[in-house]
Amino acid sequence: MDVSINGARILHTFENVPLLGSVQITQTLAASWLVMAIITGLCIWLGSGLKVTNISRKQAVAEMGYNAIVNFVRGNMGTKFDHYIPLVCTIFITSVISNLISLLGIWSPTADLMTELAWALVVFVLITYHKIKASGFGGYMRGFLDPIFVMAPINVMSECFTPISMACRHFGNILSGTVISTLIYAALTAANNALFGALGSSLVVAVIVTVLGLVPAVLGYRQKKKRLLIPGAIVAVLGVLAVFTNLGASYPWLTVGIPAIPSLYFDWFGGCIQAFIFCTLTTLFIKQAAGD
Amino acid sequence: MDLYQSLVTVNPVTLIAQICNLFLQMFLVKVFFLDKIKAILDARREAADKEITDAKAAKEEAMVIKATYEQNMLESKAKAEKILQNAQQTASQRGEQIISDAQKTAVAMKQKAEAEIAQEKKRALNDAKNEISEIAMAIAGKVVGRELTAADHAKMVDNFIDELGGEV
Repeated sequence: MDVSINGARILHTFENVPLLGSVQITQTLAASWLVMAIITGLCIWLGSGLKVTNISRKQAVAEMGYNAIVNFVRGNMGTKFDHYIPLVCTIFITSVISNLISLLGIWSPTADLMTELAWALVVFVLITYHKIKASGFGGYMRGFLDPIFVMAPINVMSECFTPISMACRHFGNILSGTVISTLIYAALTAANNALFGALGSSLVVAVIVTVLGLVPAVLGYRQKKKRLLIPGAIVAVLGVLAVFTNLGASYPWLTVGIPAIPSLYFDWFGGCIQAFIFCTLTTLFIKQAAGD
Repeated sequence: MDLYQSLVTVNPVTLIAQICNLFLQMFLVKVFFLDKIKAILDARREAADKEITDAKAAKEEAMVIKATYEQNMLESKAKAEKILQNAQQTASQRGEQIISDAQKTAVAMKQKAEAEIAQEKKRALNDAKNEISEIAMAIAGKVVGRELTAADHAKMVDNFIDELGGEV
Protein backbone atom coordinates (compact mmCIF):
# COMPACT_ATOMS: atom_id res chain seq x y z
CA MET A 1 0.00 0.00 0.00
CA ASP A 2 1.40 3.32 -1.05
CA VAL A 3 0.50 6.50 0.77
CA SER A 4 2.05 9.64 -0.58
CA ILE A 5 1.42 13.02 0.95
CA ASN A 6 2.48 15.90 -1.23
CA GLY A 7 2.41 19.62 -1.03
CA ALA A 8 0.32 21.79 -3.30
CA ARG A 9 0.06 20.67 -6.91
CA ILE A 10 1.78 23.00 -9.37
CA LEU A 11 -0.90 23.95 -11.85
CA HIS A 12 1.20 25.99 -14.21
CA THR A 13 4.72 27.32 -14.42
CA PHE A 14 5.53 30.58 -16.16
CA GLU A 15 9.17 30.62 -17.20
CA ASN A 16 11.34 33.69 -17.55
CA VAL A 17 9.02 36.18 -15.91
CA PRO A 18 10.91 39.48 -15.52
CA LEU A 19 12.37 40.00 -12.03
CA LEU A 20 10.81 36.84 -10.59
CA GLY A 21 12.24 34.21 -12.90
CA SER A 22 10.05 31.12 -12.97
CA VAL A 23 6.64 31.60 -11.39
CA GLN A 24 4.67 28.58 -10.28
CA ILE A 25 0.93 28.85 -9.97
CA THR A 26 0.15 26.29 -7.30
CA GLN A 27 -3.08 24.90 -5.92
CA THR A 28 -2.51 27.12 -2.92
CA LEU A 29 -2.94 30.27 -4.98
CA ALA A 30 -5.90 28.93 -6.93
CA ALA A 31 -7.62 27.80 -3.73
CA SER A 32 -6.82 31.15 -2.10
CA TRP A 33 -8.51 32.97 -4.93
CA LEU A 34 -11.49 30.66 -4.59
CA VAL A 35 -11.59 31.37 -0.85
CA MET A 36 -11.34 35.09 -1.54
CA ALA A 37 -14.18 34.87 -4.02
CA ILE A 38 -16.30 32.99 -1.46
CA ILE A 39 -15.55 35.51 1.29
CA THR A 40 -16.14 38.50 -0.96
CA GLY A 41 -19.42 37.00 -2.15
CA LEU A 42 -20.42 36.33 1.44
CA CYS A 43 -19.52 39.90 2.41
CA ILE A 44 -21.47 41.39 -0.48
CA TRP A 45 -24.45 39.19 0.35
CA LEU A 46 -24.36 39.97 4.05
CA GLY A 47 -23.61 43.64 3.47
CA SER A 48 -26.49 44.29 1.09
CA GLY A 49 -30.01 45.40 1.86
CA LEU A 50 -29.13 46.65 5.32
CA LYS A 51 -31.77 48.58 7.21
CA VAL A 52 -31.71 50.62 10.39
CA THR A 53 -34.91 49.21 11.80
CA ASN A 54 -37.00 46.12 11.16
CA ILE A 55 -33.96 44.09 10.15
CA SER A 56 -33.93 40.73 8.40
CA ARG A 57 -32.54 37.52 9.84
CA LYS A 58 -29.56 37.78 7.50
CA GLN A 59 -28.73 41.24 8.79
CA ALA A 60 -29.09 40.07 12.38
CA VAL A 61 -26.51 37.36 11.70
CA ALA A 62 -24.21 39.84 9.96
CA GLU A 63 -24.45 42.28 12.86
CA MET A 64 -23.86 39.48 15.34
CA GLY A 65 -20.70 38.48 13.46
CA TYR A 66 -19.55 42.08 13.29
CA ASN A 67 -20.15 42.59 17.00
CA ALA A 68 -18.34 39.34 17.80
CA ILE A 69 -15.24 40.48 15.88
CA VAL A 70 -15.35 43.99 17.37
CA ASN A 71 -15.79 42.63 20.88
CA PHE A 72 -12.97 40.15 20.30
CA VAL A 73 -10.54 42.86 19.18
CA ARG A 74 -11.64 45.30 21.89
CA GLY A 75 -11.54 42.61 24.54
CA ASN A 76 -7.96 41.72 23.65
CA MET A 77 -6.58 45.12 22.69
CA GLY A 78 -8.86 47.79 24.11
CA THR A 79 -10.58 50.44 22.04
CA LYS A 80 -7.37 52.14 20.79
CA PHE A 81 -6.76 49.54 18.09
CA ASP A 82 -10.07 49.61 16.27
CA HIS A 83 -8.24 50.12 12.96
CA TYR A 84 -6.95 46.54 13.22
CA ILE A 85 -10.49 45.13 13.15
CA PRO A 86 -10.39 44.59 9.36
CA LEU A 87 -7.05 42.78 9.59
CA VAL A 88 -8.10 40.47 12.41
CA CYS A 89 -11.50 39.87 10.82
CA THR A 90 -9.89 39.07 7.46
CA ILE A 91 -7.30 36.71 8.92
CA PHE A 92 -9.94 34.93 10.97
CA ILE A 93 -12.51 34.45 8.25
CA THR A 94 -9.88 33.56 5.61
CA SER A 95 -8.34 31.04 7.98
CA VAL A 96 -11.66 29.43 8.84
CA ILE A 97 -12.84 29.19 5.25
CA SER A 98 -9.41 27.98 4.08
CA ASN A 99 -9.33 25.29 6.76
CA LEU A 100 -12.87 24.11 6.12
CA ILE A 101 -12.65 24.13 2.33
CA SER A 102 -10.67 20.91 2.55
CA LEU A 103 -13.95 19.25 3.56
CA LEU A 104 -15.11 19.82 -0.01
CA GLY A 105 -12.06 17.97 -1.29
CA ILE A 106 -10.36 21.21 -2.35
CA TRP A 107 -6.73 21.85 -1.42
CA SER A 108 -6.69 23.92 1.72
CA PRO A 109 -4.56 27.08 1.23
CA THR A 110 -3.59 26.88 4.90
CA ALA A 111 -1.95 23.51 4.24
CA ASP A 112 0.81 25.54 2.56
CA LEU A 113 3.24 27.17 4.97
CA MET A 114 3.53 30.20 2.69
CA THR A 115 -0.04 31.28 3.44
CA GLU A 116 0.45 31.40 7.19
CA LEU A 117 3.91 32.85 6.79
CA ALA A 118 2.44 35.67 4.71
CA TRP A 119 -0.04 36.50 7.47
CA ALA A 120 2.58 36.12 10.19
CA LEU A 121 4.99 38.44 8.36
CA VAL A 122 2.31 41.12 8.11
CA VAL A 123 1.68 40.75 11.82
CA PHE A 124 5.43 40.80 12.49
CA VAL A 125 5.79 44.08 10.60
CA LEU A 126 2.98 45.53 12.68
CA ILE A 127 4.54 44.27 15.90
CA THR A 128 7.90 45.81 14.99
CA TYR A 129 6.23 49.06 13.92
CA HIS A 130 4.47 49.34 17.27
CA LYS A 131 7.63 48.48 19.20
CA ILE A 132 9.58 51.20 17.41
CA LYS A 133 6.69 53.63 17.79
CA ALA A 134 6.46 52.94 21.51
CA SER A 135 10.12 53.28 22.44
CA GLY A 136 11.83 54.83 19.42
CA PHE A 137 14.34 53.12 17.16
CA GLY A 138 17.10 53.36 19.74
CA GLY A 139 14.89 51.96 22.42
CA TYR A 140 13.87 49.14 20.11
CA MET A 141 17.50 48.25 19.42
CA ARG A 142 18.40 48.56 23.10
CA GLY A 143 15.60 46.14 23.87
CA PHE A 144 17.71 43.38 22.34
CA LEU A 145 20.39 43.96 25.00
CA ASP A 146 17.94 43.37 27.79
CA PRO A 147 18.72 42.25 30.49
CA ILE A 148 22.45 42.06 29.54
CA PHE A 149 24.21 42.35 26.18
CA VAL A 150 25.12 38.66 26.16
CA MET A 151 21.45 37.89 25.65
CA ALA A 152 21.37 39.81 22.36
CA PRO A 153 21.59 36.77 20.02
CA ILE A 154 18.84 35.02 21.94
CA ASN A 155 16.65 38.11 21.86
CA VAL A 156 17.16 38.52 18.12
CA MET A 157 16.28 34.87 17.61
CA SER A 158 13.19 35.12 19.76
CA GLU A 159 12.13 38.17 17.79
CA CYS A 160 12.60 36.34 14.49
CA PHE A 161 10.86 33.23 15.71
CA THR A 162 7.67 35.07 16.57
CA PRO A 163 6.31 34.99 13.01
CA ILE A 164 7.82 31.60 12.31
CA SER A 165 6.21 30.05 15.38
CA MET A 166 2.89 31.69 14.60
CA ALA A 167 2.97 30.40 11.03
CA CYS A 168 4.21 26.94 11.91
CA ARG A 169 1.68 26.47 14.70
CA HIS A 170 -1.23 27.04 12.34
CA PHE A 171 0.38 25.21 9.44
CA GLY A 172 1.36 22.24 11.57
CA ASN A 173 -2.14 21.74 12.89
CA ILE A 174 -3.72 21.88 9.47
CA LEU A 175 -0.98 19.70 8.00
CA SER A 176 -1.38 17.13 10.76
CA GLY A 177 -5.12 17.09 10.05
CA THR A 178 -4.41 16.52 6.37
CA VAL A 179 -1.85 13.80 7.14
CA ILE A 180 -4.15 12.01 9.56
CA SER A 181 -7.08 12.25 7.16
CA THR A 182 -4.93 10.77 4.40
CA LEU A 183 -3.73 8.00 6.68
CA ILE A 184 -7.26 7.20 7.84
CA TYR A 185 -8.47 7.19 4.27
CA ALA A 186 -5.65 4.88 3.20
CA ALA A 187 -6.21 2.60 6.19
CA LEU A 188 -9.93 2.41 5.50
CA THR A 189 -9.29 1.63 1.85
CA ALA A 190 -6.96 -1.17 2.88
CA ALA A 191 -9.47 -2.49 5.42
CA ASN A 192 -12.17 -2.26 2.80
CA ASN A 193 -10.15 -4.24 0.30
CA ALA A 194 -9.37 -6.91 2.88
CA LEU A 195 -12.97 -7.18 4.12
CA PHE A 196 -14.75 -7.19 0.81
CA GLY A 197 -11.97 -9.18 -0.79
CA ALA A 198 -12.86 -11.97 1.64
CA LEU A 199 -16.64 -11.53 1.72
CA GLY A 200 -17.09 -10.73 -1.93
CA SER A 201 -14.98 -13.60 -3.21
CA SER A 202 -18.04 -15.80 -3.50
CA LEU A 203 -21.66 -14.82 -3.89
CA VAL A 204 -22.77 -17.57 -1.51
CA VAL A 205 -20.70 -16.20 1.38
CA ALA A 206 -22.01 -12.71 0.71
CA VAL A 207 -25.63 -13.85 0.71
CA ILE A 208 -25.09 -15.89 3.92
CA VAL A 209 -23.62 -12.85 5.64
CA THR A 210 -26.58 -10.76 4.48
CA VAL A 211 -29.07 -13.28 5.88
CA LEU A 212 -27.08 -13.64 9.10
CA GLY A 213 -27.35 -9.93 9.55
CA LEU A 214 -30.97 -9.60 8.50
CA VAL A 215 -32.30 -12.18 10.98
CA PRO A 216 -31.19 -10.41 14.20
CA ALA A 217 -31.96 -7.06 12.58
CA VAL A 218 -35.60 -8.03 11.89
CA LEU A 219 -35.91 -9.69 15.32
CA GLY A 220 -34.48 -6.65 17.00
CA TYR A 221 -36.84 -4.38 15.09
CA ARG A 222 -39.90 -6.49 16.04
CA GLN A 223 -38.95 -6.71 19.71
CA LYS A 224 -37.59 -3.18 19.78
CA LYS A 225 -34.23 -4.35 21.08
CA LYS A 226 -31.51 -2.02 19.88
CA ARG A 227 -28.81 -4.49 20.98
CA LEU A 228 -29.99 -6.87 18.30
CA LEU A 229 -31.07 -4.35 15.70
CA ILE A 230 -27.90 -2.28 15.33
CA PRO A 231 -25.25 -5.07 14.98
CA GLY A 232 -27.64 -7.03 12.77
CA ALA A 233 -28.20 -4.07 10.50
CA ILE A 234 -24.44 -3.44 10.22
CA VAL A 235 -23.76 -7.05 9.28
CA ALA A 236 -26.65 -7.02 6.80
CA VAL A 237 -25.37 -3.85 5.15
CA LEU A 238 -21.88 -5.35 4.92
CA GLY A 239 -23.41 -8.45 3.32
CA VAL A 240 -25.33 -6.39 0.77
CA LEU A 241 -22.19 -4.41 -0.08
CA ALA A 242 -20.30 -7.69 -0.45
CA VAL A 243 -22.96 -8.88 -2.91
CA PHE A 244 -22.48 -5.64 -4.89
CA THR A 245 -18.71 -6.13 -4.87
CA ASN A 246 -19.09 -9.70 -6.04
CA LEU A 247 -21.35 -8.55 -8.85
CA GLY A 248 -18.67 -6.11 -10.00
CA ALA A 249 -19.84 -2.82 -8.43
CA SER A 250 -16.65 -2.41 -6.45
CA TYR A 251 -16.08 0.75 -4.41
CA PRO A 252 -14.11 1.50 -1.22
CA TRP A 253 -17.35 1.50 0.78
CA LEU A 254 -15.73 1.97 4.17
CA THR A 255 -14.37 5.37 3.15
CA VAL A 256 -17.93 6.68 2.90
CA GLY A 257 -18.95 8.48 6.06
CA ILE A 258 -16.42 7.04 8.46
CA PRO A 259 -13.64 9.62 7.77
CA ALA A 260 -16.15 12.30 8.67
CA ILE A 261 -15.83 11.34 12.34
CA PRO A 262 -12.12 12.17 12.79
CA SER A 263 -12.54 15.08 10.40
CA LEU A 264 -14.99 16.54 12.89
CA TYR A 265 -12.02 17.12 15.16
CA PHE A 266 -9.13 17.62 12.76
CA ASP A 267 -10.91 19.80 10.23
CA TRP A 268 -13.84 21.46 11.97
CA PHE A 269 -12.58 21.89 15.51
CA GLY A 270 -8.91 22.21 14.64
CA GLY A 271 -9.60 24.58 11.78
CA CYS A 272 -11.73 26.93 13.84
CA ILE A 273 -9.51 26.80 16.91
CA GLN A 274 -6.34 27.55 14.92
CA ALA A 275 -7.98 30.54 13.26
CA PHE A 276 -8.99 31.75 16.70
CA ILE A 277 -5.51 31.19 18.15
CA PHE A 278 -3.83 32.99 15.26
CA CYS A 279 -6.10 36.00 15.72
CA THR A 280 -5.68 36.00 19.50
CA LEU A 281 -1.90 35.95 19.12
CA THR A 282 -2.07 38.72 16.52
CA THR A 283 -4.05 40.99 18.83
CA LEU A 284 -2.03 40.16 21.93
CA PHE A 285 1.36 40.59 20.27
CA ILE A 286 0.40 43.94 18.75
CA LYS A 287 -0.99 45.17 22.06
CA GLN A 288 2.11 43.97 23.90
CA ALA A 289 4.35 45.66 21.33
CA ALA A 290 2.46 48.93 21.74
CA GLY A 291 3.32 48.68 25.40
CA ASP A 292 -0.05 49.04 27.06
CA MET B 1 2.18 13.62 -14.71
CA ASP B 2 1.18 16.14 -12.06
CA LEU B 3 3.90 18.13 -10.42
CA TYR B 4 3.74 18.62 -6.67
CA GLN B 5 5.56 20.89 -4.31
CA SER B 6 7.17 19.18 -1.39
CA LEU B 7 5.12 19.23 1.79
CA VAL B 8 7.02 22.07 3.43
CA THR B 9 8.53 24.40 0.93
CA VAL B 10 9.44 28.04 0.72
CA ASN B 11 8.07 29.61 -2.41
CA PRO B 12 8.69 33.37 -2.47
CA VAL B 13 6.17 33.97 -5.25
CA THR B 14 3.39 32.30 -3.29
CA LEU B 15 4.46 34.21 -0.19
CA ILE B 16 4.29 37.59 -1.93
CA ALA B 17 1.06 36.66 -3.65
CA GLN B 18 -0.49 35.62 -0.33
CA ILE B 19 0.54 38.91 1.29
CA CYS B 20 -1.10 40.76 -1.59
CA ASN B 21 -4.12 38.50 -1.29
CA LEU B 22 -4.40 39.32 2.41
CA PHE B 23 -4.40 43.06 1.77
CA LEU B 24 -6.82 42.75 -1.12
CA GLN B 25 -9.10 40.57 0.96
CA MET B 26 -8.84 43.01 3.85
CA PHE B 27 -9.89 45.85 1.57
CA LEU B 28 -12.82 43.84 0.17
CA VAL B 29 -14.02 42.76 3.61
CA LYS B 30 -13.74 46.33 4.89
CA VAL B 31 -15.57 47.90 1.97
CA PHE B 32 -18.28 45.31 1.47
CA PHE B 33 -18.93 44.20 5.02
CA LEU B 34 -17.36 46.03 7.94
CA ASP B 35 -17.94 49.60 6.75
CA LYS B 36 -21.52 48.89 5.77
CA ILE B 37 -22.40 47.22 9.05
CA LYS B 38 -20.60 49.97 10.95
CA ALA B 39 -22.56 52.63 9.08
CA ILE B 40 -25.82 50.87 9.87
CA LEU B 41 -24.96 50.44 13.53
CA ASP B 42 -23.89 54.09 13.77
CA ALA B 43 -27.10 55.18 12.10
CA ARG B 44 -29.09 53.09 14.54
CA ARG B 45 -27.19 54.50 17.51
CA GLU B 46 -27.75 58.03 16.25
CA ALA B 47 -31.44 57.31 15.80
CA ALA B 48 -31.61 55.91 19.32
CA ASP B 49 -29.70 58.90 20.71
CA LYS B 50 -31.99 61.26 18.86
CA GLU B 51 -35.03 59.51 20.23
CA ILE B 52 -33.67 59.72 23.75
CA THR B 53 -32.85 63.41 23.30
CA ASP B 54 -36.29 64.04 21.86
CA ALA B 55 -37.90 62.18 24.70
CA LYS B 56 -35.90 64.19 27.23
CA ALA B 57 -36.88 67.45 25.54
CA ALA B 58 -40.51 66.38 25.46
CA LYS B 59 -40.34 65.43 29.12
CA GLU B 60 -38.86 68.78 30.05
CA GLU B 61 -41.53 70.53 28.05
CA ALA B 62 -44.18 68.47 29.77
CA MET B 63 -42.66 69.29 33.16
CA VAL B 64 -42.81 73.00 32.33
CA ILE B 65 -46.40 72.65 31.22
CA LYS B 66 -47.21 70.70 34.34
CA ALA B 67 -45.60 73.33 36.58
CA THR B 68 -47.53 76.08 34.81
CA TYR B 69 -50.70 74.10 35.11
CA GLU B 70 -50.15 73.48 38.80
CA GLN B 71 -49.38 77.17 39.32
CA ASN B 72 -52.56 78.07 37.48
CA MET B 73 -54.50 75.57 39.50
CA LEU B 74 -53.20 77.05 42.76
CA GLU B 75 -53.98 80.56 41.60
CA SER B 76 -57.42 79.69 40.45
CA LYS B 77 -58.09 77.85 43.67
CA ALA B 78 -57.08 80.92 45.65
CA LYS B 79 -59.17 83.04 43.36
CA ALA B 80 -62.15 80.80 43.80
CA GLU B 81 -61.77 80.90 47.54
CA LYS B 82 -61.62 84.65 47.44
CA ILE B 83 -64.67 84.83 45.24
CA LEU B 84 -66.47 82.45 47.54
CA GLN B 85 -65.46 84.48 50.54
CA ASN B 86 -66.61 87.68 48.86
CA ALA B 87 -69.84 86.07 47.91
CA GLN B 88 -70.38 84.82 51.42
CA GLN B 89 -69.55 88.23 52.81
CA THR B 90 -71.82 89.96 50.35
CA ALA B 91 -74.55 87.47 51.01
CA SER B 92 -74.34 87.85 54.75
CA GLN B 93 -74.22 91.62 54.44
CA ARG B 94 -77.14 91.54 52.14
CA GLY B 95 -79.02 89.20 54.47
CA GLU B 96 -78.42 91.49 57.40
CA GLN B 97 -79.49 94.42 55.31
CA ILE B 98 -82.66 92.64 54.29
CA ILE B 99 -83.40 91.63 57.86
CA SER B 100 -82.81 95.11 59.19
CA ASP B 101 -84.88 96.57 56.36
CA ALA B 102 -87.62 94.14 57.14
CA GLN B 103 -87.41 94.96 60.79
CA LYS B 104 -87.58 98.67 60.02
CA THR B 105 -90.50 98.17 57.72
CA ALA B 106 -92.21 96.01 60.28
CA VAL B 107 -91.69 98.65 62.94
CA ALA B 108 -92.96 101.35 60.63
CA MET B 109 -95.96 99.31 59.69
CA LYS B 110 -96.66 98.57 63.28
CA GLN B 111 -96.41 102.22 64.20
CA LYS B 112 -98.62 103.17 61.33
CA ALA B 113 -101.13 100.53 62.27
CA GLU B 114 -101.10 101.64 65.88
CA ALA B 115 -101.60 105.25 64.80
CA GLU B 116 -104.45 104.26 62.60
CA ILE B 117 -105.96 102.20 65.38
CA ALA B 118 -105.64 105.08 67.75
CA GLN B 119 -107.23 107.45 65.30
CA GLU B 120 -109.99 104.99 64.58
CA LYS B 121 -110.56 104.57 68.28
CA LYS B 122 -110.72 108.32 68.74
CA ARG B 123 -113.15 108.69 65.91
CA ALA B 124 -115.25 105.83 67.19
CA LEU B 125 -115.26 107.44 70.59
CA ASN B 126 -116.26 110.77 69.11
CA ASP B 127 -119.02 109.15 67.13
CA ALA B 128 -120.20 107.25 70.15
CA LYS B 129 -120.02 110.46 72.18
CA ASN B 130 -122.23 112.32 69.71
CA GLU B 131 -124.71 109.55 69.41
CA ILE B 132 -124.87 108.92 73.09
CA SER B 133 -125.35 112.66 73.71
CA GLU B 134 -128.20 112.76 71.28
CA ILE B 135 -129.78 109.69 72.81
CA ALA B 136 -129.21 111.03 76.24
CA MET B 137 -130.75 114.38 75.24
CA ALA B 138 -133.76 112.62 73.87
CA ILE B 139 -134.17 110.52 76.98
CA ALA B 140 -133.54 113.42 79.22
CA GLY B 141 -136.04 115.52 77.31
CA LYS B 142 -138.66 112.93 77.82
CA VAL B 143 -137.78 112.52 81.47
CA VAL B 144 -137.55 116.17 82.28
CA GLY B 145 -140.30 117.12 79.99
CA ARG B 146 -138.66 120.16 78.78
CA GLU B 147 -136.03 121.32 76.63
CA LEU B 148 -132.81 121.42 78.31
CA THR B 149 -130.85 124.50 78.11
CA ALA B 150 -127.69 124.52 76.31
CA ALA B 151 -125.78 124.72 79.57
CA ASP B 152 -127.55 121.75 81.07
CA HIS B 153 -127.06 119.96 77.97
CA ALA B 154 -123.32 120.43 77.98
CA LYS B 155 -123.04 119.54 81.66
CA MET B 156 -124.91 116.30 81.26
CA VAL B 157 -122.90 115.28 78.29
CA ASP B 158 -119.71 115.92 80.08
CA ASN B 159 -120.76 113.85 83.06
CA PHE B 160 -121.80 111.03 80.86
CA ILE B 161 -118.59 111.07 78.96
CA ASP B 162 -116.65 111.10 82.15
CA GLU B 163 -118.48 108.06 83.36
CA LEU B 164 -118.08 106.41 79.98
CA GLY B 165 -114.50 107.37 79.81
CA GLY B 166 -113.90 105.78 83.15
CA GLU B 167 -115.30 102.57 81.82
CA VAL B 168 -113.42 102.64 78.55
